[in-house]
Amino acid sequence: MSKYQIILFKIVKLLIIIVIVDMTLGIAAQKLFYTQKTGKYARSTYAIDKTDAEILVFGSSHAHRHYVPEVLENKLHSSVYNAGAEGQQLLYHLGLQKMILKRIKPKTIILNIDEDFLFQSNIAYDRLHDLYPYYVTHKDVLRPIFAVNNRFVDIKMLFKSYLFNSTIIHMTRYYVSPQIDHKGYRPLHGTVNKNYKDLNPYSVDQKNTIDNNLVLALEEFILNAKSNNIQLVFVTSPKLIKTNYQNNKSFHLINQMANAQNIPVLNFFNDDRFINNFELFHDPSHLNDKGASYFTELVSDKILLLKK
Amino acid sequence: MYFNSFDFLIFLPVTFSLYWFLDKRKIVLQNILLLAASYIFYGWWDWRFLSLIALSTVVDYVVGLKIYKANSQKHKKRWLLCSVFFNLGLLAFFKYCNFFIDLWIELCNAIGIRNGNFTLLRIILPVGISFYTFQTMSYTIDVYREKLKPTKDFIAFAAFVSFFPQLVAGPIERATHLLPQFLNKRSFSQGSISLGFKLIIIGFFLKLVIADRAAIYVNAVYNNVEQHDGLSFIFATILFAFQIYGDFAGYSLIAIGTAKFFGFDLMTNFRRPYFAASIHEFWNRWHISLSTWFRDYLYIPLGGNRVGKFRWFFNLFVTFLISGLWHGANWTFVLWGAINGCYLIIEVLLNSKKRKGILNIVCTFCLICFSWIFFRANTVSEAFLIIKKIFLQPGKLYIGMGDDIAAPFYAVLAIFVLIGFEIWREYIGSVKQITEKTEISRMLAYSLLVFLILYIGVFGDSQFIYFQF
Repeated sequence: MSKYQIILFKIVKLLIIIVIVDMTLGIAAQKLFYTQKTGKYARSTYAIDKTDAEILVFGSSHAHRHYVPEVLENKLHSSVYNAGAEGQQLLYHLGLQKMILKRIKPKTIILNIDEDFLFQSNIAYDRLHDLYPYYVTHKDVLRPIFAVNNRFVDIKMLFKSYLFNSTIIHMTRYYVSPQIDHKGYRPLHGTVNKNYKDLNPYSVDQKNTIDNNLVLALEEFILNAKSNNIQLVFVTSPKLIKTNYQNNKSFHLINQMANAQNIPVLNFFNDDRFINNFELFHDPSHLNDKGASYFTELVSDKILLLKK
Repeated sequence: MYFNSFDFLIFLPVTFSLYWFLDKRKIVLQNILLLAASYIFYGWWDWRFLSLIALSTVVDYVVGLKIYKANSQKHKKRWLLCSVFFNLGLLAFFKYCNFFIDLWIELCNAIGIRNGNFTLLRIILPVGISFYTFQTMSYTIDVYREKLKPTKDFIAFAAFVSFFPQLVAGPIERATHLLPQFLNKRSFSQGSISLGFKLIIIGFFLKLVIADRAAIYVNAVYNNVEQHDGLSFIFATILFAFQIYGDFAGYSLIAIGTAKFFGFDLMTNFRRPYFAASIHEFWNRWHISLSTWFRDYLYIPLGGNRVGKFRWFFNLFVTFLISGLWHGANWTFVLWGAINGCYLIIEVLLNSKKRKGILNIVCTFCLICFSWIFFRANTVSEAFLIIKKIFLQPGKLYIGMGDDIAAPFYAVLAIFVLIGFEIWREYIGSVKQITEKTEISRMLAYSLLVFLILYIGVFGDSQFIYFQF
């Protein structure tokens, strides 16, 4: 063998060993991943693989922390699962929705809208890695989403260890200290300090630009619901401080899209029952358990009215 | 193009295959390929700044020949000054222009005179400018000092200036070491290529697992100075010490490993710096290519230590002050350099350059960490606020929120792996001894490292810190 053939042979041998190590340890990581009982991955796995709820809630932390499934169930007489995920944005919600819809067809989907959902943000893409572990079983629906700004997705996803990247500490953490949830909902406790000074109306930076990928993601989210005859409801969560959304391009576009598709928008921005009501908030942007229960009741009542 | 991008993962094997395909033909073809590959590598980031590298190459190539041919010392010196002014001029304009304009405006305001309508310019800092200008300057200075004959082979010289593995963040090579390698035939060595693989894998571990993980916590704390307490700053500063080491030593290892693929030998840039038992020793182990550059082309020409004590201290201080400024046009870097200069002067005064033992290692590490506060802080006032909080307001340790909570755990875990590995290398043996037993065990060890990189590394196309210098 020539020196070139020897080195080529060695490179191939190293690659084979890397693949074997990756497969072996990757399978172990996968097994561990699916044994989780609590925590964010356990909740998304449950939503994807197990829930048969008739009403599903999607959205960021505002969905996860604001919608109490038991309140919705009592009012609407339907089973509910809160599939909200902290820090996540539209691409994640779309991926999750598509995976769930492969298995079940809920009657209603509530999408909690953050007013800046359509603005360009690296977070929307970076945090998609929370869905990587499901690539093996849901490649058909996840690949187009991951490929939006990831040119080498097919190569990266070949490695099992990459699919389960960064999951081990979360797993260990929730084994040691389980993170209890109530059908996906985790309450926040405590109230905002009444001395909270910054009570000027909150408004979004006008320099923000719309990300067309996110617009397409919302369109697809709507289309998925429509084509499966699922009632879709958009809701905006209340805030402690007044929100100046008059010039918010993202929120306006979301409203336009909703109107065009006859999707009801339940807007709780600047709702007098919540503005400056310190007792209902954990922080200026998140309701505490008491606030969440109250808010969920109001949402349930409005959905009941929609059905009439 | 970044080393930690998938573009590079395609670029490297393609260049490697073409390069050794040309092995049987001529060195000049290999050099042309390396030159083209280097320009593609750099142009991937911003092709406009290729003109600066090309200009720097032409100027120093011509100056090198002119110095050699000049028949008087006076003429040689003139040509040398041409090269020095040209290279420092590039640096001054692209890196320090706004810094000095800002300084001028503040000075005018302070003494109450009109500043003549000076405004800051919109200048993009070309990646790697501090590295390649220093490298080409070393060529003309060495030709002037008659340590090196200038080359007439323009292609080889251009490939030396722009050699892609070390173009944007070093190691800053000396022409006496690297240029001859472009002029002579490189041999395809199996040992060299497999060593290259190992260095690249270790480099990626340092960068993606240690540096980028630590960065998540460090950025969260250092970018919100008001909101955090002293304990968090102590932890963040220790993490930053490993972040910058992982980032820069990682880059250097990837550069050295990549160069090995092409049969080149680059200088070692880091030698387990946190095992230094004195500041003097630390600077013999940290960013060796830059430290020795400043030693040979600034400190020694200033007189080094072969002068009176006061002048010696002045030389030390000025060298570190300029080294600080080299890192960035910000007072934080200048202060960082000044602190290190002061450390060295105090060490000389205390006659404690040759200390040993674990206690001295810990003390040195603490002193270096203290100086890192200035290196990492966004402004000088923030640096002082951080120090104040560390000493007067320990408070609670921030452990992160949401996803960020896991970052310091991964980083600390990886740092322990690194420390264990470095203890082995420092006190017990070499990398070879760890993995030399059988080929399979060697490959298994590196496959495990690859697994760890993929399993707990950060994959966000993050930049290397030293790119900004």
